[in-house]
Amino acid sequence: MGEKTKTPLIRLAKRDGLNPSAAWGIRLASILVALLLGSLVILITGNNPFEAYGIIVNGALGSEVFVRQTIKNAIPLLGCAIAIAPCFKMRFWNIGAEGQITAGALAATFIMRQMVGKVPSVVLLLAMGLAAAIGGGIWGLIPAFFKAKWNTNETLFTLMMNYIIIGVVSWLQIGPWTANQGRMAQFDEAACLPKVMNIHCGWIIVLVLVVFMFIYMKYSKHGYEISVIGDSENTARYAGMNVGYIMMRTMFLSGAICGIVGFIVASGANNTLSAEVANGVGFTSITVAWLSQLNPFVMIAISMMLAVLEKGTSSLNTWLAVPASVSDIIIGLLLFCMLGCEFFINYKLIFRSSHNGKEGEAK
Amino acid sequence: MKRMLALLLCLALACALFVGCSGNKKASGDTIRVGLICIGDENDQGYTYNFIRGKDAATKALKAKGINVEWIVKWNIGESSDCEDANIELAEAGCQLVINNSFGHEDYMLKVAPDYPDVQFVSCTNQQSWNDKLDNTHNAFASIYEARYLAGVVAGMKLQQMIDEGKIKANEAVIGYVGAYSFAEVISGFTSYYLGARSVCPSVTMKVQFTGSWSDAAAEATAADALCDAGCVLISQHADNSTPATTAQKKGAYFTSYNNDMTEVAPDACLVGCRIDWSIYFEEIIEAIAKGETIPQDWCKGLADGAVVLTPYNDALLAPGTKEKVEEAKAKIISGELKVFDTTTFTVGGKELTQAFALDTDGDFVPDSVEAVYDGCYNESTAQSAPYFALAIDGIEWLNSAF
Repeated sequence: MGEKTKTPLIRLAKRDGLNPSAAWGIRLASILVALLLGSLVILITGNNPFEAYGIIVNGALGSEVFVRQTIKNAIPLLGCAIAIAPCFKMRFWNIGAEGQITAGALAATFIMRQMVGKVPSVVLLLAMGLAAAIGGGIWGLIPAFFKAKWNTNETLFTLMMNYIIIGVVSWLQIGPWTANQGRMAQFDEAACLPKVMNIHCGWIIVLVLVVFMFIYMKYSKHGYEISVIGDSENTARYAGMNVGYIMMRTMFLSGAICGIVGFIVASGANNTLSAEVANGVGFTSITVAWLSQLNPFVMIAISMMLAVLEKGTSSLNTWLAVPASVSDIIIGLLLFCMLGCEFFINYKLIFRSSHNGKEGEAK
Repeated sequence: MKRMLALLLCLALACALFVGCSGNKKASGDTIRVGLICIGDENDQGYTYNFIRGKDAATKALKAKGINVEWIVKWNIGESSDCEDANIELAEAGCQLVINNSFGHEDYMLKVAPDYPDVQFVSCTNQQSWNDKLDNTHNAFASIYEARYLAGVVAGMKLQQMIDEGKIKANEAVIGYVGAYSFAEVISGFTSYYLGARSVCPSVTMKVQFTGSWSDAAAEATAADALCDAGCVLISQHADNSTPATTAQKKGAYFTSYNNDMTEVAPDACLVGCRIDWSIYFEEIIEAIAKGETIPQDWCKGLADGAVVLTPYNDALLAPGTKEKVEEAKAKIISGELKVFDTTTFTVGGKELTQAFALDTDGDFVPDSVEAVYDGCYNESTAQSAPYFALAIDGIEWLNSAF
């Protein structure tokens, strides 16, 4: 071609300030697209998509028992998303929530084994919660310390810390703390979280944490420091902030909340400690935090939505006898579309046009 | 906030759209709906696969009796609160019977059972129902030690043939055993297997290597490899994978399998295998439920009822006379003439066994009640269905232990 500059077929341009209703239009459309793609998958398995989506909703919210289970599954997701929010705000990529949950559950179990039967249930539970916060906090503090001191890569560091603590629990489970066949005994009743409205009271704890985190991030000096570091570390330094110290403090807080989540899961849901206590929550909650754009209140809705999907697609396996991987595909499609649509909110596509200045625009 | 609102709206819309057109389908008429919760899926070609075979065979047998069974199977349910959710889901789905297939499921099953008194809950390979004060919980196991004894006879015949043909010396007849954990279920299994082998090959000894996991393909292969290097000429196993079979074949050793026929993966090594035929139990309890009868609190049957069986022989490898020998032992076990744990056939610490407890009542995992040694033998699986023989007998060397 003889042209001097070649215009690509599609170009990207940053949008500034898309009006909110258009942004919501895009988000809604992305969910619709995900549902349509999901229908295709369901059709391939030889089932009716309407029936399948009906089963998903019904399986998660169709009866009081199902709603209870769904909420139970949402609790750790929400708690953990709250925990990692300040780290992500600071652009400190903590993907070690999995390990911090496990460390918290481990610490709580350790205290339980020391104190059970010697103190009243309330004291025991408080001690377990405190131990969990310290245990998880320390597990989060270690990578932050190395990052602050030697600028190690926190993504890899926090990830590796997961495997260490999960290995420790696996060993305790089949070794010193085993009860039978490589499993630990169920906790004594005094060490199990009491139920409120038939769900273990972890839901109250995480809701309190939501409010706490909202205030902490929005109205406290700490929260301000965190957001300054997130925007520019150099600015923070110039303003006289001790960046290393703030990182360690924030990671301790994040780890501590993860630890409390670990305690909630071990004591409230599983009533025992096992190496699978975190069960992928530490990773899924990253999606929750990101989809909520780190807003604690939005996290309530997003974690509920994911819990509904998980519980609902499990019913899908039961009723339509589709493999569990089909459920994973449907969840994956939805998350992909929801995360992906943010791209179209921030950028617009410009198609090459033959007439200058008459560029078509599409979402 | 707007985002949340919109999401909630979406969800509400979706509910409104779909709730109407689904709903739990109730089983119709004379169909029995049964839930089965599995720790794995059929792809393991071992533990869970064996349950699925049992399920399919029972369904067929019951159909012939005019009883229709509708199964709802939950795959890959871990030993965590997921298992509790699965039990609730199946009970809510209208199952009259919910079967949990793994040991670790029982604790979670017991949290659900009190809420659904009309649903029968079964935990296979487990042992708490006699003590849990619930009428609707049950345990089941089969006397797999009887079938292991027969598999041991097959192995012993092969080893004796190798000795007779001068391929190995008498003291080189060493069996390697890949075990999961040093628990009664495994110990009872390899001890009966060893006693079966020794009944036809007096000079045989055994080395046992534990992997510390019910299912760890790599660790099982490593253990089998180490055992072959330590001089074992025949490998058997009590864990979930087929890697010991392939390792044995690679190392030129013979093999007998568990849970499944492994002749296909190791045609030059695998002699025979043994497994529990769960269809016998499933058929019995589902028929009882169909007739409105109660089902046993604890169930254990063996060779006599076909609840434990040998898998097909690999004829090309068998020592001559093996089948006759096995049939003879089988007939004697069924008639009661032959006791697998006959106390005159083995010693513990050089002495004949005269006393051993079967059950643990205080939860410290040391048996403390119900005498198991009487009538000249250690009576396995009589006090409860789950195995409890956990003694280290002479002739079997433990290379490690894993609890």
